[in-house]
Amino acid sequence: MSKIEEVKAMVQSGKAKLIPGLVQEALDEGNEAQNILQAMVDSMSIVGDKFSAGEIFVPEMLMAAKAMSKGVDILKPLFAGQSTASYGTCVIGTVAGDLHDIGKNLVSMMIESAGFEIVNLGVDVSAAKFVEAVKENRNVTLVACSGLLTTTMTAMKETVQALKSSGLTGFKVIIGGAPVTAEFAVSIGADGFAPDAGSAAVKAVELVKG
Amino acid sequence: MLTKRQNLLETIKGGNPDRFVKQYEFMHFIMEAPNPGGNFPEPGQTIKNNWGITFRWPEGQLGGFPVHDEEHKVLKDITEWKSYVKVPPIPTADEDWAPAIAHAKTVDRNKEFVTVFVAPGVFEMTHHLMSMEDALMALYEEPEAMHELIDRLTEQELAYAKVLIDRLHPDCIFHHDDWGSQKSSFISPQMFEEFYLPAYKKIYGFYKANGVELIIHHSDSYAANLVPFMVDMGVDIWQGVMTTNNTPELIKNYGGKISFMGDIDSGVVDFPAWTPEIVGKEVERACKTCGKLYFIPCLTQGGNWSSFPGVYDTVNEVIDKMTKEMF
Repeated sequence: MSKIEEVKAMVQSGKAKLIPGLVQEALDEGNEAQNILQAMVDSMSIVGDKFSAGEIFVPEMLMAAKAMSKGVDILKPLFAGQSTASYGTCVIGTVAGDLHDIGKNLVSMMIESAGFEIVNLGVDVSAAKFVEAVKENRNVTLVACSGLLTTTMTAMKETVQALKSSGLTGFKVIIGGAPVTAEFAVSIGADGFAPDAGSAAVKAVELVKG
Repeated sequence: MLTKRQNLLETIKGGNPDRFVKQYEFMHFIMEAPNPGGNFPEPGQTIKNNWGITFRWPEGQLGGFPVHDEEHKVLKDITEWKSYVKVPPIPTADEDWAPAIAHAKTVDRNKEFVTVFVAPGVFEMTHHLMSMEDALMALYEEPEAMHELIDRLTEQELAYAKVLIDRLHPDCIFHHDDWGSQKSSFISPQMFEEFYLPAYKKIYGFYKANGVELIIHHSDSYAANLVPFMVDMGVDIWQGVMTTNNTPELIKNYGGKISFMGDIDSGVVDFPAWTPEIVGKEVERACKTCGKLYFIPCLTQGGNWSSFPGVYDTVNEVIDKMTKEMF
């Protein structure tokens, strides 16, 4: 197995402690940083698919994301100030009144692993704060809104409407969470919907690529 | 006509119930029983409980949540859990228990089960203390420390169980511990078996060995993959079973070993724009597809109420209607 294949396998199995050394060895063998990064992105895509299919669970996904993050730390200096994120910035948060965190964080990790810079606004985020974050951050291409309560679906709608009527452009809006459906996403004017963290990353790339 | 207690037992033992069990009707909750963890917030409140865990319940929303920013997280390093986690004392004074004892005495145990609501469970305690991410990654990164922490939490549950039994002699324990999202268990069955099954075998085994007749475990989630473990640990009824579990299939596979209470997803019927028609359709579907034995039609929410006024009672009315149709 080549070093780059080894990196890929170890990200998939979430061996966070081994990854920095393996990434360094892959670089020492003469592999391009971009190719190593791509291998890790591909790994996380497999992890996302396995999660969506119910083959792995939250801890495995968290460990894989941590492993990738450790690998990216080694590669970052080699990108000479350029971002390792190829799809721009994603602003993510759980909408106002809702304190659910874990689902949003899983989506955040998966979207980051797919090649986005992440601005995580946390939980209980007002519509105004989402709009402000789009204004304040560079190259925002995606806004991801999470909501897990039937009572916060109103806040989800208000957030999407605030973003769409803000006059700001260049970004798409994706939504998700237990009560959210594709029909609801369409009805409130969101550009996309994903039922879980694995498919959120796939949908994010699809939306941004246009 | 059977009493609520008799009808429940006929239902879960595969006998001859004379009607559907109406949600929580057979449980007589003794909510005055002191909880060593302390209070839970009311809507609009932020409180710190006896473990030092901060909970917030945003006004107008459906529940309280632990706060896990760096300032509020109780357990910041699992390897140092002994220095971070301060286990609160179990209330043992007579005056602490007097209201609960007085209430329990008023219950006719031939008709209803004297029930104590115990929450949160061991799994929830780990993530309330340290956040879900930290608690789940620690299962891989620091398994020994996690085993130690789980053992300590289990000891605390057992110490509470002992006092509870001495004071109230409950017939039934309604025990909360959410083990999944609506589509999946949070952790794999293998990991559950290693970390949490032993803890629950001890806790539920202790209750059973000391006269508690019914163990009801609440997890309003997917957890079909954990049902064999529920059977093994002594759960009599899994309350909160969501439709995503394929409840009729579970009844077919496990009826007689465990019963299922739920299949009316609260998120589908108990929401601001709820209607009696939506409730009617869901209750009818649940009763018809799940049948009369090993099944209790119930909202998946973990308690005898609904978030929006009228929903709980409407569910009961439709269950009565289904009884007339099916019994």
